Amino acid sequence: MSDSFPRRSWLARCLGGGIAATLAALFYPVAKFLRPRAATSSGALEMVAPYRMDQLKPDAEGRWPSPFNFGGKPCLLILVDGEPRAINAVCTHVQCTVEYRAATQDIFCNCHNGLYDINGRNIAGPPPRPLEVYQAVKGSGKPGQEEIIVSRKA
Amino acid sequence: MSPAKPENFQPERAQPEDTGKPGWKEAVKGFFFERLGLDGVAALAAHKRVPIHSRSLFYFLGGMALFLFGIQVVTGILLSLYYKPSPDQAFESVRAIVTEVDFGWLFRSIHSWSANLLIGVLFLHILTTYIMRAYRRPREFTWLTGMALLGVFMTFGFSGYLLPWNQLAFFATKVGTAIANSVPVVGKYLLLMARGGEEVTGDTLARFYALHVVILPLSVLALVGGHLFLVQKHEMSVPEDMIKKYGSAKKAPSMPFVPHFLLRDMVGWYLALGVLAALAALFPWELGQKADPFSSAPPGIKPEWYFLFMFQALKHLPGQLFGIEWLEGEVVGVLFFGLLGLMVLLVPFLDRGAATGRPRRVLNFFAVLTVVFFLYMTAWGVLEKPAQEQPAKTPQTTADSPEGPPVKGTP
Repeated sequence: MSDSFPRRSWLARCLGGGIAATLAALFYPVAKFLRPRAATSSGALEMVAPYRMDQLKPDAEGRWPSPFNFGGKPCLLILVDGEPRAINAVCTHVQCTVEYRAATQDIFCNCHNGLYDINGRNIAGPPPRPLEVYQAVKGSGKPGQEEIIVSRKA
Repeated sequence: MSPAKPENFQPERAQPEDTGKPGWKEAVKGFFFERLGLDGVAALAAHKRVPIHSRSLFYFLGGMALFLFGIQVVTGILLSLYYKPSPDQAFESVRAIVTEVDFGWLFRSIHSWSANLLIGVLFLHILTTYIMRAYRRPREFTWLTGMALLGVFMTFGFSGYLLPWNQLAFFATKVGTAIANSVPVVGKYLLLMARGGEEVTGDTLARFYALHVVILPLSVLALVGGHLFLVQKHEMSVPEDMIKKYGSAKKAPSMPFVPHFLLRDMVGWYLALGVLAALAALFPWELGQKADPFSSAPPGIKPEWYFLFMFQALKHLPGQLFGIEWLEGEVVGVLFFGLLGLMVLLVPFLDRGAATGRPRRVLNFFAVLTVVFFLYMTAWGVLEKPAQEQPAKTPQTTADSPEGPPVKGTP
């Protein structure tokens, strides 16, 4: 053996490399296990909203119907000139769920006082971006009581 | 020393120190000391002294934190016997704890109150350590382990807040984890790891539960072990002015830890126990409403008081700073608080004059600024009313409803 390649250091490197490989083999599945499962749904989506047209009005306390589960995210249904409008209810600031205030016809986030107009545009407070607006159309049903179909593209 | 004979255990013989010769107590003591090596512990206890000076009260804070942590362990274990970590059952199980289980209300309230007092005590412990400059060489690692413990306990608070699965907790968690999203580069990854998915779900609850009852307690044991080892190793820090006055740290007046200081510690612990019981009885911790993941966030969403200063800052930072699109207020806020935390962590290394006793004017300036900022933002957050009430004063009639009912303003 030449001095430039001593057997002892080669063995030590083999041992070190073997231990490192073992650790990597142990930690790889752990790291993969910690990574969350894939999202339940994404991309294009279409569904019938849980509210009919006649249910879109404030309750006795002045509260607008709660957002509903639209592909895993809360979705707000509001009325603009008698037509339904669906808006992603996740505030663009830090993801609180916004609410529609029928009295002032705006969308408000109770967490950090973010304010949007009925087009989802951020007009005051900390939100940096507008809310996403989905497509909402009247479906079948008696006039004034039609079901509402909400959809978004991929 | 020989092991105790059975006849030595007669109750009538169990009089303390009636004669000069070794009795059964000494025999028992000898039995354990020999086998467990307790001489070292006894020597350490006899050796440990606490300096006496005008700020000696500061030395109680570490022991107080340890005591409150003990309370957390005991009440936490008790609560875990009835708590069920799932979105369907978490809220109901906590409700059952406070309404059905004997003394459940007491243990839950004490757990919550003690957690808050503990964070407060830790803040004071750190502040007084800073004031006494006790982090100076060779105690830098005592400071670092202490800061790590603060981080662990704040994570304890954050994770424990979600466990009852109520509205307030749900949205506080949503906001808190979304803030992680603002961290440049790794933000998205942090958010996914914290939530166990894109949204706050049952997987988030399971993660927070594991964090709260397994990962964090084990971390605390390791960190407290290291912290206490370093405190014993380097002994209690004596303030600079005392060293100057008496010539050396050794010559400064002090009292033995056992039993003198320990008994004083215990007075403090009794007081704390009384305060906790009173708080739990007079101000039981609220449970609130069960979380509804798709409802709008209710008015008055607030985190625990020790996160309030950050929350308040985020609330009042605009979406874009100076109208520049990529300069999002939230990202700037997160970076600012990250930097602030890093500065506090590195205080022992930023204080370059600590070894020579040079005054730390610049550091003190920033320290005072930080404390004033913290107090001001916290007070502002506590006193600010939910903005929900404001627009109700000017209700407008709307014409968008097909039914045309008069629209009421929000109460």
